[in-house]
Amino acid sequence: MKPKKGNNRIVIPIGPQHPSLKEPGCFRITLEGEKVVHAEIDIGYNHRGLEKACESRNYIQTLYLIERVCGICSHTHSTAFCQGIEELAGLSIPPRAAYIRVIVSELERLHSHLLWLGVAGHEIGFDTLFMYSWRDREKVLDVLAEVCGNRVNYGINTIGGVRRDLDESMQQNIAKVIAFLEDQLKYYLDLALTDPTLSARLAGIGKLSREDALKYGAVGPVARAAGIMEDIRIIEPYAAYIEVPVKPVTDTRADVLGRTVVRIQEMLESLEIIGYCLKNLPGGELTVKAPRRIPAGEVISRTEAPRGENIHFIRANGTDILDRVRVRAPTEANWHGMKHMLEGEYLADVPITIAAIDPCYSCADRAIVINSERKTEMMDWQGLREYSIDWYKKRGLDLSAVKMPERKIYI
Amino acid sequence: MQAEQKIVAQLVKKFAFLQERIFVQRQKRIFTLPLVKEEFEQVLPYLHAELGFAKASLVVGTDDGDDLGFIYILSNREGIILALKEKTPKSDPRIKTVTDLFPALALHERELVNLFGAVVEGLPGDSSFPLPDGWPEGSYPMRKDWNPQYFDQETMTYNPPSQEVEKEGGNE
Repeated sequence: MKPKKGNNRIVIPIGPQHPSLKEPGCFRITLEGEKVVHAEIDIGYNHRGLEKACESRNYIQTLYLIERVCGICSHTHSTAFCQGIEELAGLSIPPRAAYIRVIVSELERLHSHLLWLGVAGHEIGFDTLFMYSWRDREKVLDVLAEVCGNRVNYGINTIGGVRRDLDESMQQNIAKVIAFLEDQLKYYLDLALTDPTLSARLAGIGKLSREDALKYGAVGPVARAAGIMEDIRIIEPYAAYIEVPVKPVTDTRADVLGRTVVRIQEMLESLEIIGYCLKNLPGGELTVKAPRRIPAGEVISRTEAPRGENIHFIRANGTDILDRVRVRAPTEANWHGMKHMLEGEYLADVPITIAAIDPCYSCADRAIVINSERKTEMMDWQGLREYSIDWYKKRGLDLSAVKMPERKIYI
Repeated sequence: MQAEQKIVAQLVKKFAFLQERIFVQRQKRIFTLPLVKEEFEQVLPYLHAELGFAKASLVVGTDDGDDLGFIYILSNREGIILALKEKTPKSDPRIKTVTDLFPALALHERELVNLFGAVVEGLPGDSSFPLPDGWPEGSYPMRKDWNPQYFDQETMTYNPPSQEVEKEGGNE
C-alpha cells in the first residue's frame, strides 16, 4: 500500500499472484476512499514464446502446441488452427468430423461456462452455487474424457478431420448428461433472474456500455451482454454450424448480471445444439488425407470460443513448417475494456468485475507446455495412473501406496 | 462477394496506388499487399471513417527479410475482415501508432515493440509487454534470426555465436 502525498489516494497492487483467479496478472488499483479512480493492468506473466516455437515445428507438432494455448478452451484453438490449414490446403472435412467438432466444441463451452459460474459464485461469497456448478461440470468433463480420452486438451482434432469416433454408448452418455443439465441450468437461470441476493451483488457492477464495448473491441458474452449480437457461429459459420441452427443470445444489462444471464442461456442453447447434432449425426469417414507440406498462403481463421471470438492468422510458405502463426484469443480482446469497467467501481467489486470477463491469462499470453515424447499410444485410466506413479517414482516420490477408488462415470 | 468487391472498388477509386494491390481472397476476406508508411497512413483513417471498419482485432507482426511487416486485421459490422498491410525497413522500423483510432490495439503495438523491435511513434506508456523486465535490449525474439538456443535464461542474456567467438578470442 502506498499513500500518495497531497491527497487521500491509495494505490493497491492486486496480483500478480492470484488476482481473484488462480492465474497471474497484476492490477494496480488507485483508490479514493472505497472508490476505484484509476486502474492499470499488467499482464504477460504467462508469455513463453508459443508462436516462436511453432515456427520450428511441423504442422502436426504445431497443432499439439496450439491446443495447449489454453487449458479450458483448448478445442477452440485446435479447431481454428485446423480449419485454417485445411483452407490453405483446399481440404474439406467429412460431415461426420464436422459434427463431432461441434459436439466437442459445445461440451467445451458447457464446462467452461459452468466453471465460470462456479468462480463467479465463489467471488461473491455464494459458495453453494460454486459447489453445485462444479459438480455439474464434472459430468461434462466425464463425457469429454470418455469421448476424447482426456478432461482437457482433448486431442480430437487433426488436420483433415477428427481422430476419434463417437460410438453408440458415448452418444447415449452425452444425451444423459444434457438431459440432466437442462433442469439444472433452468434452475440457475431462474436463480440469476429472481434471486435478490445475486441481483444485489451483480446488477450494475462492471458496466461496459454497448458503445464502449464496440470502442474497446469486446467479444463474446461481454459484448453480447451489452446488446451486440456477435457470434462467429452465426456471422461466419464453420464446421457443422453451417447446418446446425444456433439461436443468438444477447442481453441489454451490460453489467456482470447480464454476462451471467447470457452465459447460462448460452449453455441452454449448447444443449439444443448438441441434441441436434446427436440426432442428425451423419455417417462416414472421420478424416481426409492431408498433405505434409501446406501450400504457401495466408489465412485468417475464426471460431467462437466460450469467451468469444478466437482468431488465428496463419502464413504458410509451402514447406512442412509454417512461417507465422498469431493467435488472438478472446481474453486478449476483453482486457481493453477492463480498465473502463473497474474505474468508478467499489474496491469490493473488483474481484467479480475481473472474473466477469472470464479471463484466461494463458490464452492472452499464449503459454506453452511441451512434452516431446515421440511414442503414440492410448492409455486407459489405470494405465495413466501407473504412468504417473512411475513418473513420480523416478523423481523420488513413491505414491504407489495411495489407494484410489474404482473410477466410474458420474451420470 | 458483391459487398467485398464494392469495398475494393471504392478503395481503388479513392487511392490509385491500391490498384492491383488489394484483392478479395474469399468471402468476407480482403487482403492488401504491403503498403509503405505514407500510403498506409492515408488508407487507415479512410477505412475507419468512411467504410465502417471500426473494429480492429489485432496486428500481426512479421519478419520479411529486410523489412518488418505489420498486418492490421480490421472488420466492419457485416463481419467482413480487411487485412491492411504495412511494411517498413528493418534499418528504420518506424510506424505511427493507431491507438487514437483503435484504442484496443495498444497491447498489440506494445508487442510489436517488444518482440519485433518496431518503433511505434506516439504509443502511450513504456511498459514492457509481453517480455519480462530485464530482457536484454536490442534482442527481439520474433525476428527470424533470433534463435532461442542462444538465450541464457539464468543470466537473461542473448549470446549468438559470433559474439561468443569474439569473447573467446579476447580471453586468449
